[in-house]
Amino acid sequence: MAEAHALGALDAEESAAFEAHLKAGCPGCEKALAEARWLVSQLAYLAPESVPSRAVKERLMRSVGAESHVVPMASPRKSAKPLWLWAGVAALLLLTLYSTWNTRQLSEQVKRLQEQATAENQKRETLEQELAASRQEAQMRAILSNPESTKIMLMPSNKDMPSLEAKWHSQLGLVVTGYEVPKLSGNRVLQLWLIPKDSKAKPMPSITFWPERDGKLAKLVSNPQEGIPEVKALAITEEPAGGSEQPTSAPIWIGAVS
Amino acid sequence: MFLAALTSGDYGTVPPDVALVHRLLQRDVRAFEELYDRHSRAVYGLVLRILQQAGTAEEVVQDVFLQLWRNAGRYDETRGPFVSWLFTLARNRALDTLRLKSERQRRREDQTEEFPPVAVAPEYEKELDEKRCAHRVRVLMDSLAPQQKRAIELAYFEGLSHTEIAAALREPLGTVKSWIRNGLLRLKEGMQAAT
Repeated sequence: MAEAHALGALDAEESAAFEAHLKAGCPGCEKALAEARWLVSQLAYLAPESVPSRAVKERLMRSVGAESHVVPMASPRKSAKPLWLWAGVAALLLLTLYSTWNTRQLSEQVKRLQEQATAENQKRETLEQELAASRQEAQMRAILSNPESTKIMLMPSNKDMPSLEAKWHSQLGLVVTGYEVPKLSGNRVLQLWLIPKDSKAKPMPSITFWPERDGKLAKLVSNPQEGIPEVKALAITEEPAGGSEQPTSAPIWIGAVS
Repeated sequence: MFLAALTSGDYGTVPPDVALVHRLLQRDVRAFEELYDRHSRAVYGLVLRILQQAGTAEEVVQDVFLQLWRNAGRYDETRGPFVSWLFTLARNRALDTLRLKSERQRRREDQTEEFPPVAVAPEYEKELDEKRCAHRVRVLMDSLAPQQKRAIELAYFEGLSHTEIAAALREPLGTVKSWIRNGLLRLKEGMQAAT
């Protein structure tokens, strides 16, 4: 039970029952659960290592650099304060009641400020995420409803697959939508390709994506590399995670740009 | 050699993770950069495996390391190895993102603010360095029956419950439960035997 709980595989009722059992006090199960969490964390090694783009580190280092001058955080849980500090505090306690009171007030104030800063940071991050999502949705709505957008039907190569629809606006971008798109297997993703009119030119890779669990698909390409006049068709293939430079499989959907 | 040095206790000039975490508490940017260089590939690999989408995975990796920078004090070195804590944090964030994407829930409380709970490394773990752990886990999991391995992967990488896995694999619920239980038991025994 502890392993399944650590894995997150228990159904809601089983999970609630196990947690109630732990709350009631069971040192054996608590220890088993703590060890199971370590065991489960080792499953991360099943995923092949992969290198994130350099931009991730650059953004992180910018954020971290900007925050590096903030008041240092509280000490880690384990590291006890040095003995000399406790001796100093004890001496101060003996010296005056006032200094003790004053120290405590200051500590509480610093702690409050740290908590406020953390809460503000989290709030800001959430708002930024929400803002980005709503901007994207607004842009998609604008493309879909704009009469100047070009409609492109993406027909499946397999008759059992649903058709997809794309709308392309020369300034706003490209949206691909669809329903009942089958789930992909393993490490596979869908990748959009722009097929140039120049027959000698190679297909140009665009975004990679995958359908949601309910089979819905709605993807925005805000800045297609090429404009409509240079592209004769759109195609979608299945590719390994991360996408490919050139298609490695036959198109599942293809649609001419009129 | 490099990874072995990190966990064997004979660190030479390479500081262990715990020492770097201590320096994070003093806002040491170079310590943060070193932790990122050391673990970002494994963390990104894990998150990418869960989310299957490079752009979103990179956002989650960025969030995980920012949380590490801002909340390094939440890691308790007495409760287990740093890398397990980091993996658990990354997996939780990635699964939250996966659920958010699928359920269109953008409420703030759905963003996991909880940090990983206690994960105690058993005694035998102290004798296994990170590289050996990774190799051992892969070998042990490959030794399981394909459906059994798939059931564990669905739980770990897709956050599915026993019932959901049984439906996905079209197998009886009891079979799935015993596959997962026995598979993890075999993994545990195999890790012990590796020492």
